[in-house]
Amino acid sequence: MLTNYVPILVFIIVGIGVGLGLFTLGSLISPKKPDAAKLAPYECGFDAFEDARIPFDVRFYLVAILFIIFDLETAFLFPWAVVLHKIGWFGFFVMMAFLSLLIVGFIYEWKKGALEWE
Amino acid sequence: MIEQIIFYVFATILVVAGAMVVTAKSPIRSALFLVLAFFATAALWILLESEFLALILVLVYVGAVMTLFLFVVMMLNLDRIALREGFVRYLPFGLIVIALIVAFMLMVIGPRQFGLAHYANPANHPANYSNIRELGLVLYTQYAYPFILAGALLLVAIIAAISLTFRGPRDSKTQKPNKQILVKRADRIRIVKMPSEKKQ
Repeated sequence: MLTNYVPILVFIIVGIGVGLGLFTLGSLISPKKPDAAKLAPYECGFDAFEDARIPFDVRFYLVAILFIIFDLETAFLFPWAVVLHKIGWFGFFVMMAFLSLLIVGFIYEWKKGALEWE
Repeated sequence: MIEQIIFYVFATILVVAGAMVVTAKSPIRSALFLVLAFFATAALWILLESEFLALILVLVYVGAVMTLFLFVVMMLNLDRIALREGFVRYLPFGLIVIALIVAFMLMVIGPRQFGLAHYANPANHPANYSNIRELGLVLYTQYAYPFILAGALLLVAIIAAISLTFRGPRDSKTQKPNKQILVKRADRIRIVKMPSEKKQ
């Protein structure tokens, strides 16, 4: 089975090689004449006013966590779809029970308005 | 032989990335090293021929959980100097926790219980071996009850996330197209009969 993954390994090696190679080439060939003004952090020619990272709305977090939950749900759907013809009606209804639990959650978040964005 | 070389390369990457997660100065860098650690773990899982778990690790953890971690890092507005301050104070406690975890790990997967002497080297699967199929055959039949419990756990997670972070709908003025379409003439205008007034 592992031989199926040899192309991916080659791909990873080539990717890392190209990435590192271009970086080393860039740092070796490019001219470097640093001075204090050049190395100072600035934004649009001014000195930096504040930290680049500003805390933002918690609603991004809510959307991300809801996304993860339904991402996991779809992850469970893949093996189920592959073996559906073998596990029969029992497996089918097990997945329906699983999905109905999550649909309850989906209706809850929909009705609660957690998906509304302005 | 080649498999062993690949294993040691990815295991080294994993250990180095794990160490960098803890020691990196910027929390963003820690999160990115965690991504690297997840990728190395996925490679190790593929070496164990559990390809589905490896791909799910990349999809769910790298794709979604790391996004969440970055959001958390962005939201917390971490002060780097304040983060360094407690280092010496919490060091003894941290060392105790590390010692406990290492001791437990040695007890459970130490050379006395684990290793090739206790578990035979599993035979290599043929090229058409499908990890997803094997997983699906037991997950929805033999482990149906834990699977549905996982669904219930996800439901709890949805409700918990909403109740913890949701602050109620914003009172923004939005158009409701269905109401706009369904409106009748009688809802909007009222024709009033009244006698015309004489010009004075």
